[in-house]
Amino acid sequence: MKHISPIQVAADTPARAPTRRALAKQQTRLKVLAAARRLFSEQGYEGATIRDIAAAAGMSTGAVFANFTDKSDLFREIMTDDMEALLGAMRDAAARGRNIEDGVLKVFMAGYTFYKSRLQLARAAFSVSWDKDGGPSLRGLSSSLAFQDVFTEMLTAAIERGELSQEAEVKLRAQMLFDTYLSNFPQAIFEGWSLDALQTRARDQIRILLAGARRG
Amino acid sequence: MIAGVGSLPKGPSSPRQSQKEATRQRVLEAARELFDTHGYQGTTVREIARRAEVSVGSVFTTFASKGDILSEVMAARLDPLYAEIDRVMPHLRGSTADRLRTMFAIHFEFEAAHVRLFMSHIAAAYDWTLTEGARPYGRNTRLKDVILDTLSKGQAAGDVRQDIELQEVVDLLMSAYAWTYRLVITNGADAKAMIAVMDRQIGLIAEGFAPRS
Repeated sequence: MKHISPIQVAADTPARAPTRRALAKQQTRLKVLAAARRLFSEQGYEGATIRDIAAAAGMSTGAVFANFTDKSDLFREIMTDDMEALLGAMRDAAARGRNIEDGVLKVFMAGYTFYKSRLQLARAAFSVSWDKDGGPSLRGLSSSLAFQDVFTEMLTAAIERGELSQEAEVKLRAQMLFDTYLSNFPQAIFEGWSLDALQTRARDQIRILLAGARRG
Repeated sequence: MIAGVGSLPKGPSSPRQSQKEATRQRVLEAARELFDTHGYQGTTVREIARRAEVSVGSVFTTFASKGDILSEVMAARLDPLYAEIDRVMPHLRGSTADRLRTMFAIHFEFEAAHVRLFMSHIAAAYDWTLTEGARPYGRNTRLKDVILDTLSKGQAAGDVRQDIELQEVVDLLMSAYAWTYRLVITNGADAKAMIAVMDRQIGLIAEGFAPRS
């Protein structure tokens, strides 16, 4: 057998086992993210400070800054993790729809179900999204933009199936479905609406928004 | 049509009260400028107090929170806006969709002059420290009332379906209107651009409330 030095292995194999230092760093990151998630949920984006987050994670602010550039970076990372998980759930939901209306409703419900246990984090995200500094970076995240693609793809598929007319104004309709999905969150956050109540409301909204695109 | 149920000043009486009123006006003016420049998150009660040249304590004797101050600022702006809406609406002809388009266009033109202020108003709805008395966007009934009134007239005129839940259409229009302001953040949109997008959205919603042929 040809002798290979450990250094060569390290250089040649990209998926090598992480060093102990890298593992420790990864653990620190996860600890900070967990603490930040809790504090953003309890105190909102404005209320949670890096100092509090560091204290909750049991480390110095310097250790936090070694992993994240600032609070908005930390918040974006949390939101990206969630949005990517939700995106997967939404695509599964879309595939289970019996028709366009049912599919869109299932996508809405996948979102409301996902956020049911993290409504306060959603609240923090909405608050940031309307801010002039935080808004652009949160809204511009690729996973955030991908939500709208889910609706676009569903509408396009429904046109191909002949369920919706060719002139269904896919882009505008997808945008409005997404906006409507988001606009129901205050009911869940502030008025404690149940998933059933959200579903009833969403079904009517979706019907109205799809009405003009129906064939015949 | 819609009575203005704003906070009516009770008329000057003692010097102490008129001084309190003067403080109040100074705070509201300072707050309006700050929210319009720095947004909701970027404005603190401390900065409002500094700009109004009053103490933080005296701000809090008059207002319960930052959200309360903004609610007052916005309420004061509603009177001239809805005076205009009330003046124009009875003279509008055309379809329900067109009347809604005109009504929203007046809103966009009015708010675009201080667009950051209106977006603060939307952002305030998600504020953690919001107190009972605050009325961010969505809790203000005047716009909802005007939309509902327009749709009811449409039902009477026959271009809005009888069997539709009007409140749901109102909510769809309310959210379409608010979310259109997102274009200011993402595209730097002006009033004209927002009106064009809103016109199309109203068209799409109108297809949903049109009587079935």
